[in-house]
Amino acid sequence: MTAFIFRRLLSAIPVLIIVSLVTFMIMWLVPGDVSAEIAGTDATPEDLAAIRERLGLDRPIWERALAWYAALAKGDLGYSYLLNRSVADAVLERLPVTLSLAGLALVLATVMGVLLGIFAAIRHNTIFDQGAMVTALLGLSIPDFWFGIVLIIFFGVWLGWLPTGGFVPFSEDPAGWLRSMILPAFTLAVTQMGVIARMTRSAMLDVLNQDYIRTARAKGMTSGTVIFVHALRNAMIPIVTVVGVLTGVLLSGAVVIEMVYSLPGVGRLIVGAIQRRDFPIIQGGLLITACVFVFVNILVDIIYVWIDPRVRDEG
Amino acid sequence: MTGLHRISALMRTLFTVGMVAIAAAIAPGSSEAQTKGGELVFVQGSNPPSLDAMSTSSQASRNINMNIYETLYGFSEDVNPIPILAEGVEISDDGLTYVFTLRQGVKFHNGKEMTARDVKASLERYRKVGATANLLSPVKDIEITGDYEVTFHMEAATPTFLEAFSSPRAPAVIIPEEDADTEAGKNSFVGTGPYKFVEYVPDSHVTLERFDDYTADTRYEGMDGFGGKKTAWLDKVTFRIIPEPGAQVAALEAGEVHVLEQIPMPAARRLESNEDITLYENMPWAFTTFIMNLNVPPTDNVKFREAVQVAINMEEVMAISSEGLYQLNHRWQYPGSTYDPGDIGAEYYNLADVDRAKALLEEAGYNGEEFVILTDSNIPQHGKSAVVIAENLKAAGINAVINQVDWPTALNIRMQDEGWNGWTLQMGIEPFLGPVGLIATLTSPARPHFVKPDPELDALYQELISGTTVEARQETFKKIQQRMYELFAVVKVGDSGLMQAARSNVKGFKPYRYPRVNDLWIE
Repeated sequence: MTAFIFRRLLSAIPVLIIVSLVTFMIMWLVPGDVSAEIAGTDATPEDLAAIRERLGLDRPIWERALAWYAALAKGDLGYSYLLNRSVADAVLERLPVTLSLAGLALVLATVMGVLLGIFAAIRHNTIFDQGAMVTALLGLSIPDFWFGIVLIIFFGVWLGWLPTGGFVPFSEDPAGWLRSMILPAFTLAVTQMGVIARMTRSAMLDVLNQDYIRTARAKGMTSGTVIFVHALRNAMIPIVTVVGVLTGVLLSGAVVIEMVYSLPGVGRLIVGAIQRRDFPIIQGGLLITACVFVFVNILVDIIYVWIDPRVRDEG
Repeated sequence: MTGLHRISALMRTLFTVGMVAIAAAIAPGSSEAQTKGGELVFVQGSNPPSLDAMSTSSQASRNINMNIYETLYGFSEDVNPIPILAEGVEISDDGLTYVFTLRQGVKFHNGKEMTARDVKASLERYRKVGATANLLSPVKDIEITGDYEVTFHMEAATPTFLEAFSSPRAPAVIIPEEDADTEAGKNSFVGTGPYKFVEYVPDSHVTLERFDDYTADTRYEGMDGFGGKKTAWLDKVTFRIIPEPGAQVAALEAGEVHVLEQIPMPAARRLESNEDITLYENMPWAFTTFIMNLNVPPTDNVKFREAVQVAINMEEVMAISSEGLYQLNHRWQYPGSTYDPGDIGAEYYNLADVDRAKALLEEAGYNGEEFVILTDSNIPQHGKSAVVIAENLKAAGINAVINQVDWPTALNIRMQDEGWNGWTLQMGIEPFLGPVGLIATLTSPARPHFVKPDPELDALYQELISGTTVEARQETFKKIQQRMYELFAVVKVGDSGLMQAARSNVKGFKPYRYPRVNDLWIE
């Protein structure tokens, strides 16, 4: 297992190098830079040139890339042009928000999605199956910004039960943290739930038609044991894959949800940096995001092996 | 059509509501008693790019910074320079020496008293990191001539210097000497204002706390523009960053926040009868303009530009881009302001005259070349204006195409001499600053917005800044207004407003260029 993990970690290094190179190239191609944001609309070309010189934006792209990699080798991700803090600090201070949101949403989406998928599979080709799939499709199709605003108006403005937005750190007030996270996590979960439900349904349908399930039923096992112990475990591989991909997506920041609920998460950090051309944040933020994806993928691979040892043997 | 023009009964009602609210807030002898204490939450849509007031000209920064820092001179309510941290200034007859005496006993948030050393150090830093550092270019050197006195020796007499020096655009604020060597954005955020900086969490909030040792300027009765006698009633002020307008309104309705920097007009209409919410019309707030590139065809031809001017239906553009909060105004100053040039140019305004535009296009020899309108998706008024202007121009036979990009890309493209013909721009702070700040953006030595300098306008700008009396400058500004309607380089589309909203228990709120959280309390 150790060799397996080591091999996977090694294979991540070229991926991360390619990601950072591609980011450099894209930011080089995108017109505009942070100098206009700093100097304002009536800046003279000389003002802009002075800012570019101060920030090193006038240097050739390869020179900037080399300097960036040299600093990275020393563990330095750079310093934001606009946020008055290092890239590492800027990302780290947002991680609690993103982890809270992604963690809660993932739990909610998985529980709701798996249960809905199982329900649809065991009631296959009935009105319940169709109802469950319509619900899943609805979750997938509802624009999350619209759903978020509707929830805010209903629970925040009309009922006054939950805050309309903002983030309360868990360390300051655990109850406040939960209250601030319920609506965003639920909004995000509903939109992700559909994918898990549909995947669970199709995986369960494959498994439920297998001989060993029929055997288990014939042996007189309760329906719950057959579904949750025998069928679900064997249907887990595709579900874990989907959940793994969603974890990566959620951890890299659910930008729209963060905007609607005014949560200072990683997604908003990166999108804000792109809009204002804060290159160090974009470069460092995307590298960290890529690391998250790679790490989650490795974790998913490990879970595969744990669920189904044949994967390790094949690998 | 000339002069002011309100568009609808609804807007009149909103205006009345706003004015009543303002009148109630400022009425002398008001029976309301101020309450000390409490926390106020003010909402704005974007992060302050910096809390180093000198280094940024952003509105999002100014909103916060002007509660933390102060300047020697600043603008009064009616936009005239008044002393704030200065006791006053003595200007020599030849205009080459400015002796500023400082108020004594003014404390920084770190407890230290402000002296001439801090002032010199701050202004020297401003020369290096100030976003509009050129406002100090007429100053040859700054000499400390007493513990509470600094003397500016000027390069040449500049009658409009005090006006420029008072500008809040990227204000020349006074900070402690210890911060003098810090890079832009890396000072300690210590000022002399009524509130002191506590915390900034980007994309979340900025927190300020009352500065209990604040030295109020007792020369004044109450607050006056950026200065006056300021009183901090609130214990704490939080500037929350909520990007989504719908979420901002929901937070206001739920009572979680107290003041919105801007409320969308449809929401304002919906909340008009809500007793818990008071609407404030901040009018006029900005110029809506359409800038043309004089360097490339077809906009290098004055007849073509005149055709654009007469083809545009200003009322249509303003009604749609401002969502209904606007006034029609052909002037390059706000009506009733010191430099109001009157009716000059009104005959070219809001004509929507397709036939005349077609005749002018023929005279210009226009052959259907592409007319590229540069606009962006970040500032909603820009994109909306571009769409209506393009339709107006198409009706006159101009081959208008819109190039909508994001804001940094738009700024990058418009700095290029080619590749665009028209550019939509809301001018916010420039018109507020008066004629000098505004015309500086259209003349040399800066790169004019319309790319190719106009020698006549350049000469008039020089005449303006060297005019020794207000009357002389008023006369010059009339000539500038006239020139603007001969050059047709920039179309003045109209004046837009800013609708603001607050919970009704917030008292003392007076709309201005920045949200003054001093003299504001919660009932």
